[in-house]
Amino acid sequence: MSSSAALLQSDTLGSRLASRGDLTSFFMQLAAEIGADSYMLVAIVHDQDRNDARIVSSNWIFDAIELIGKRLIAGLAQGPLTVAPGIRPKPLVAAEAPDAGGLLTGEEARLLDVLGHAEVYSLRLNVGRQRLFALFSAAEAGKIDQPALMKAQLKCCYALSTIPQLVAAAAMQDPLSDRERECLFWVSEGKTTDEVAVILGVSSNTVNSYITHAIQKFAASNRAMAIATAIRSGII
Amino acid sequence: MKHADIKAAAEALFNEQRNPFGIGSETHHAVTIPDAVRRCRWIAVDINASAFGLYFVSPSPERARLVPSFDSDYPATAVATKFIAGANGEEMVRHSGTSTAPRWWADDGIAGSDTVFQNLAWAERAAPLAPGTNGIAFPVHADRGHCGLVVFLGSTIALLEDMLYEIHARCFSLFAAVARIRPSDASRMRSISKRELECLKLTANGNTSEEIARLLKLSVHTANQYLTQSTQKLNAVNRNQAVAKALRLGLIE
Repeated sequence: MSSSAALLQSDTLGSRLASRGDLTSFFMQLAAEIGADSYMLVAIVHDQDRNDARIVSSNWIFDAIELIGKRLIAGLAQGPLTVAPGIRPKPLVAAEAPDAGGLLTGEEARLLDVLGHAEVYSLRLNVGRQRLFALFSAAEAGKIDQPALMKAQLKCCYALSTIPQLVAAAAMQDPLSDRERECLFWVSEGKTTDEVAVILGVSSNTVNSYITHAIQKFAASNRAMAIATAIRSGII
Repeated sequence: MKHADIKAAAEALFNEQRNPFGIGSETHHAVTIPDAVRRCRWIAVDINASAFGLYFVSPSPERARLVPSFDSDYPATAVATKFIAGANGEEMVRHSGTSTAPRWWADDGIAGSDTVFQNLAWAERAAPLAPGTNGIAFPVHADRGHCGLVVFLGSTIALLEDMLYEIHARCFSLFAAVARIRPSDASRMRSISKRELECLKLTANGNTSEEIARLLKLSVHTANQYLTQSTQKLNAVNRNQAVAKALRLGLIE
């Protein structure tokens, strides 16, 4: 019995994902369950002042990703149609897209449709403090079963929770060390360098160096921006 | 269903008043605590739990702990909450930082309590959060890094795997609504001007006062003044804290 067959069987009892292969078969099975043809698991990474999509796992054809572009994928994942667990999801219907709040141009919408993504659902996944996005799409609008999709959203969160290292590496949302995070947190509470030094029981120079490292890791230009980036990605 | 419609309309109206900036999405209505307690009680009834509680994970990385928002004894505090917000909750806080999987525990004194939970896929067994009872804890997350836990207790909890997802989804949506309740800050929100928020947002994006002045076509002095005013209105001691507060309150994105 192949490992994917074993996973299919054990899934009803819950299982642990161990590898990227498991992740792929988990999503393939889930997509089939809810009536979706394609899935894409995306992490949003902050790169300077723009957000980029990092594709963790997907069964989209390579050309589709190239044509649609990661900028558009990041836009979809962070757009108004993306829902947190517990909210009824709304699809992006390619045929109606130019009206859907200016998310896509007519040309981009037509492209999505041609490439087999007539309807796209975008779901926010919370894996501990990390945040990922799942796009499920089908070649025909209305094919994806909404109630099943809402369950699938939680199932994705659970499954990804079993592979925290992979998720953290993919999302790279928390590049800070514990000490750097602590320093940044106290600065965000309005403490000065000297005050943070007293709180943590280290020297002011050490505090400054932690904060400088944090600023560099976020490619931020100053403390305020580092704090903002950290709060936006839920690190502090 | 008529009652539910009226309730939804009332919530929507309330949400409008609560969120003059229209921050709230149409589905995560801000509610009052009594409303939230009622919603949580409905979930508890559906899984036959006798008690419940909702907790926030405090953002301090120094010693992350659970801060009670309310429990089933609202407006008082249940005894179980004292255990959960104390040392018992520490391991659970660590868990919720990296995992969204629900965790359950079963009391040995209650016959057959293991079997209630053992069939749940993905859910894990954990050390008891409160003594003398069975329970299940759902890690939940909301916008702007809010993180929390919704806990249900009771010796007769009944939960089938099929329902687990729905219950957890409802906990998520309840928590998102509770995370929006900021009674003491609501009045301050209104008093911050659009210009002051613009300056704060640019500061959050890493701009200096000089750059802000240039971008908004103001004098540096005026830009600084806007920032000082917004810092005062947010009751912050400096700009860094003002930026952090404005982001956490959702005044700026």
